[in-house]
Amino acid sequence: MKNKDRISYNSFFYIIFAPALLLVLFLTAYPLGTVLHDSFFRYDFITGAKDYIGFQNYIRIAGDELFQRSFRNTLVFTFFASVLEVFFGVLLAFLLYGSFKGKKAASLIIIFPMIISTMVICAVWQIFYHYEIGLFNYVLRNIGMQPVGWLTDQRIALYSIILVDIWQWTPFTFLIIQAGMSSIPYELFEAARIDGAKKTQIARTITLPILSTQILLVLMLRTLDTFRLFDKVYALTGGGPANSTQTLSFYIYREGFSFFNFGRASAASVITLFFVAFLAMFYLRRLLREDD
Amino acid sequence: MKRFFTAAAVLLVITAALSAAGSREADVTTLTIAGRDGAFGDAMERAVETYMQENPDVRFEILKLSGPELMEQTVIELRGGTGAFDLILIDDPFLPRVQEAGWLVNLDDMFAQRGLEIDPDLVENMVDIGRYPYPGGDLYALPHVGNVALFAYRQDILEKYGYDTLKLWDDVLEVAQLVDEHESDMVPVLFRGVQGNPIVTGFLPIFWAFGADILVDGKAAFNTPEALNAVEFFLELAEYAPQGVTAYQATQVRDALMSGAGAMAIEVWPGWIGELENPELSEVVGKVNIAAHPGQVKDSSSMIGAWMVGIPKDSRNIDQAFDFMLHLTSAEIQELMADETGNPPTRHSVHQIERLVEKYPWYPAQLDGQISGSVRPRTDYWAQIETVFGDFLQRALVGDISAQEALKQIQIRVEDMLN
Repeated sequence: MKNKDRISYNSFFYIIFAPALLLVLFLTAYPLGTVLHDSFFRYDFITGAKDYIGFQNYIRIAGDELFQRSFRNTLVFTFFASVLEVFFGVLLAFLLYGSFKGKKAASLIIIFPMIISTMVICAVWQIFYHYEIGLFNYVLRNIGMQPVGWLTDQRIALYSIILVDIWQWTPFTFLIIQAGMSSIPYELFEAARIDGAKKTQIARTITLPILSTQILLVLMLRTLDTFRLFDKVYALTGGGPANSTQTLSFYIYREGFSFFNFGRASAASVITLFFVAFLAMFYLRRLLREDD
Repeated sequence: MKRFFTAAAVLLVITAALSAAGSREADVTTLTIAGRDGAFGDAMERAVETYMQENPDVRFEILKLSGPELMEQTVIELRGGTGAFDLILIDDPFLPRVQEAGWLVNLDDMFAQRGLEIDPDLVENMVDIGRYPYPGGDLYALPHVGNVALFAYRQDILEKYGYDTLKLWDDVLEVAQLVDEHESDMVPVLFRGVQGNPIVTGFLPIFWAFGADILVDGKAAFNTPEALNAVEFFLELAEYAPQGVTAYQATQVRDALMSGAGAMAIEVWPGWIGELENPELSEVVGKVNIAAHPGQVKDSSSMIGAWMVGIPKDSRNIDQAFDFMLHLTSAEIQELMADETGNPPTRHSVHQIERLVEKYPWYPAQLDGQISGSVRPRTDYWAQIETVFGDFLQRALVGDISAQEALKQIQIRVEDMLN
C-alpha cells in the first residue's frame, strides 16, 4: 500500500474511532482526573470550600488506624472470598459435568443466589445469623453447642460476610468454568480413559490445564469485584463490630457521603484505584501470557 | 379527496385531545418531597392525601428514603441546584450544615409575606431547632416529627422488685441485676449497639446524666472524670444486654420490647413504638411505662431528635410548598398522622387530645421532653464526632479497648477535627 493510501486508510479508522474515544475519555478520564485533582484539596462538598493542601490527605489517610484496618480487612475478604468462590465453582462444574437426569434443574438451583438482589440476600442472611432467633444458632443449640455471634463477634463477623459472598457468587464462577468445560472435546477424555487414566488423573492432567485461562479470568473478575466490597458490609454490619468489617469502599463512603469530606474520600479512592489497577495488571499479564 | 378529509379529521381530533390534555397538565403543580421511609413516610402520605382532596390541582411525588439515603440525596440535589425537591425532611443535627450552605428558604419571610405568624401552639423549643444560627436566628424549617428519646421499662417487673419509678441510673443497674438473676426468659436491658449514630444516641442520656458533655466552649470534652464514669457505667449496664447487642437496631429493640422479652430499653423514640398499645401487635399492652430518662449526678434531660421540614431555595414551587408545609404542621393533620401512623406531633394541643393520650400514654413525657429537652451539639463536625464517638464506644463495649482508652482516642480525634 502506498504511503498516501495508508494515511487515508488509517484516517478513516481514526475518524470512526474518534467519537467512541471521546466518549470513553469523557466518562472515564474526566472523573478520574477530577478525583485525582480533588485528592489534593481540603474539600467540603456542602459549602464547596476548597483549599489546596498538597499530599496532606494522603499522609493523614496513611496514618489513620481506621484506614489501615479497612485495608487489611479488604485484603482478607478479597483473598478468601475470591479463592473459595473459584474453588467451589470448579468443584461444582466438575460434579455437574456430563449429561444426567436433573442437570438442568440442579444448574438452575445453583445459579439462583446470583440472580437475587444483594439487599434481599443480606436481609435473609441477617435472620440466619441472628444471635437469638437465627437458624445457625438454633441448629448449634440443638446439637448442644454454644451459639455464635456471627455478626457481633469481631473475630467472626468478616468471615460471616465472606460466607454470604461465597454463597452469592460461587454460581458465577461455576457458570464460567462449566462453559469452559463444555468446550473441551469429549474425545480427549475418551482417549485418556482408553489409555487407563483415572478420573482424578484426567481432571489433574487434562481438564484443569485446559481450564487454566477460564480459572484465571474468573479469579481476576472475582478479585476485582470483592476488592470493592460495600453493599454487604452496609447491610449486614455497618462496618462493626468495633470496625472489624470496615472495608476500603466503606471508608470512602463514610468520608464522602457521611462527612462530605470529598478531598479525603478522593485520596482514599485514588489509593484503592491504585491497588485495583495493580491487581488487574497482575492478572491481565498472566492472562495475555496464557493467550500467547 | 375523501381520504384527505378523513386524515385531516383524525389529525384534528388528535390535536384537540392533546391540547386539552396539555392544558389540563399545565394547571397541575407537582410537588416532590424528599422524605423518610417507614412510619414517617406513611404519615406524609396521609398529609398528602388530605391536601390533594382540598387542592386537586396539586400532585405529589414522595421519595421514601432511609436516613443516610435522604442525607446523601438532599446534599447532591441541593448542591447541584437542580430544583428537584420542593420539600425536604432534615434530621435536626444536620440542619446547621444544610443552612450553612444557604440552601433553604427563609420561612420568617414567607410568614411575613402572607401576613401570618408562627402558631404559638407549635412547641417553641421545637420551632427554635429550625432556626439558624440556633436558637435565635431566622427560621428555615418547621418541626414535623416531634421525636424525643425516652426511657422504657416494664412497670409490672419494677413493682415485682419493689420499685415504683427509676430516678437514678444506679436504680436501673440494680433492676437489671435483679432481672438477670430471677427472670431467665427476659433480657434486662435493651439498646441500639450498632456503631456510629445508634450507639451514641442510646448512650447520650447516660453521658449527660453523669455530668459529661461533648463540647465545652466549642472544645472537645471527652477526657474528663465525668465522661469516664459514664462510659464505665454504660459498660457495666451493657453486661445485662443481649449477647448480640452490637447488631441491635431500632427494629430489634422495638421487637424485644413489644414481645415482652425486654425489661427496660434505655432509648426508645416515639416514632418506633406507635403500636406498643395495640393488642394485635403487642404482648405488653398496659405494662410498659415510657418516661423521661433517669438522672444521676444531674437531672435527666431528654434528647430531641426531631425531623424538620424545609423548602429548598431552588424549588420551582416555593409558594405551593409553603402552603403544604402549613397544612402538614397544622393541628388537624398532626392529629390525623398521630392517630393513624403514630407520628409524634409537635403541637401542645395535639398532645392533650384525650383519645390520643389514651392511645399513646407517653404523650405527657414526650411533650415535657419537647419543651425542655436538649439538642445535640450544633457544629459542622457533628457527623464526624458522632462517628468517632460511636466507633470507640463500641470498641469499648466489645472489650477491644478500655473505657479510658476509648475516651482518650475520641478526645485526640475530635480535637484534631476541630483544629
